[in-house]
Amino acid sequence: MSHSSITYDTDTGFTEPNPTASGSAPVRPNTRLPGQAAMWFFVLGDLWIFTCYFACYAFDRAREPMAFLQGQHTLNQDMGAFNTILLLSSSLLVAWCLKAARKQEYTQARQLLMMGGASGVCFLLIKAVEWYIKIDAGLPEISGQFFIYYFMFTGLHFLHVSLGLAILTLAYLELKKATSGNLAFVESGAVYWHMVDLLWIIIFALLYLM
Amino acid sequence: MSSAAVPTSPGIELSKSRMLSNPKLDQWICFWSIPVFYVLFGIIFVIFGRIMPPPTPAMATADVVAFMTSPYLSIAVVLLALSLGIYALNSGLMLTQMKRMEGVSPVLRYGYIAVLGVGGLPGCLFPGYMFALGAFRPEYDAHIQVMLYELGFLCFVGSLGCFIIQYTLFAIAVFLDKRQLFPKWLAYFSIWTLVTELVAAPVFITQTGPFAWDGLLAFYQGTVIWVAWQTCLTFYLYKAIKEQPIEELGLPMQPNEL
Repeated sequence: MSHSSITYDTDTGFTEPNPTASGSAPVRPNTRLPGQAAMWFFVLGDLWIFTCYFACYAFDRAREPMAFLQGQHTLNQDMGAFNTILLLSSSLLVAWCLKAARKQEYTQARQLLMMGGASGVCFLLIKAVEWYIKIDAGLPEISGQFFIYYFMFTGLHFLHVSLGLAILTLAYLELKKATSGNLAFVESGAVYWHMVDLLWIIIFALLYLM
Repeated sequence: MSSAAVPTSPGIELSKSRMLSNPKLDQWICFWSIPVFYVLFGIIFVIFGRIMPPPTPAMATADVVAFMTSPYLSIAVVLLALSLGIYALNSGLMLTQMKRMEGVSPVLRYGYIAVLGVGGLPGCLFPGYMFALGAFRPEYDAHIQVMLYELGFLCFVGSLGCFIIQYTLFAIAVFLDKRQLFPKWLAYFSIWTLVTELVAAPVFITQTGPFAWDGLLAFYQGTVIWVAWQTCLTFYLYKAIKEQPIEELGLPMQPNEL
């Protein structure tokens, strides 16, 4: 893919054949996949795995709705909601970062990515505090099937966020040396980060709100 | 046609000697040990042992005693004790192929085989010996049989940590490998395997439901993903051996080569 004949649409991130470079070639809607195909493979598979978890949760919840409701009431909705806002803002910051990077404004892109990552770190800290409060309240408070789901889901998600932060760090380093406009890795990182966000929204709705 | 008169035996001789002089013969032997091992694994754990799919932790005491004292279970354990070592051939092959990766620290491949060597103990041998003991002394008190049964299954399904590190090391090695011996998506696949393995952690605290040792999430999902992963890995291992250039085989072995 020669960069001389490709232009980035800085709003959509789609590439389009440059009419001046390719002569009279008709402008076609671009179908380029942002990021690496392997990352999409991973994200879709991961979503499928989580779908199985959520289906199991829904099934078990329907069997003993009262016990699950009781467990849900003990969760701190404010903390959950704040974490949701944090992660959503983080996703937005990462999206802006990519937009800036496509305009080749790498310094700004790095700053945005840094802020996105910092929100992710705050998310983890709040999650840890939330767990601490739960565990500190005593084991009888956190027994039962609901809390196994609670700790497994939030724990797995915690792991995903940690992995996401590692990926964002690598993306940051990539942006530091980016000059050629090859953003495949940064795009992959953003795709993953948005998945982490999406998963949290579902977990939040299922565990805290439903 | 004069060629019809040529006897066929030299042809057979030729192919035989070609097979023996195949410079990758060692690797192919190790490779074909993988399906042999997994067929044995199936015979031991599924057909004779009835260990997979696992019976429920909530099984009645009489049923547990019947399970533990089944003569087929002891046959399974004997077969397991005899054949578990075959897996070492697979580990050796993985080490040989991971050595070909470029830009990957040797620590990862050493860690990979070390963790596999350790993982086989809690994951296979330990439960095997628990079950063997139950069958060895059927006159044991029912409570002791239940304890051995539970210990066996907790080891079998709950041997998580080693395999988690195995998948992690493999994924990192594939990501770093500049040569792309294994496709990147296989590294991501390893992460799924890791995630589904993690979900088995609550087997130590639950006796029913999806997180119990016979549960949908703790056992079935993880097993399905693992079988798919192992199949893909075996396929790409085959490809890697096939495409390995002869001159890279390093024969005779160089000093300090491992």
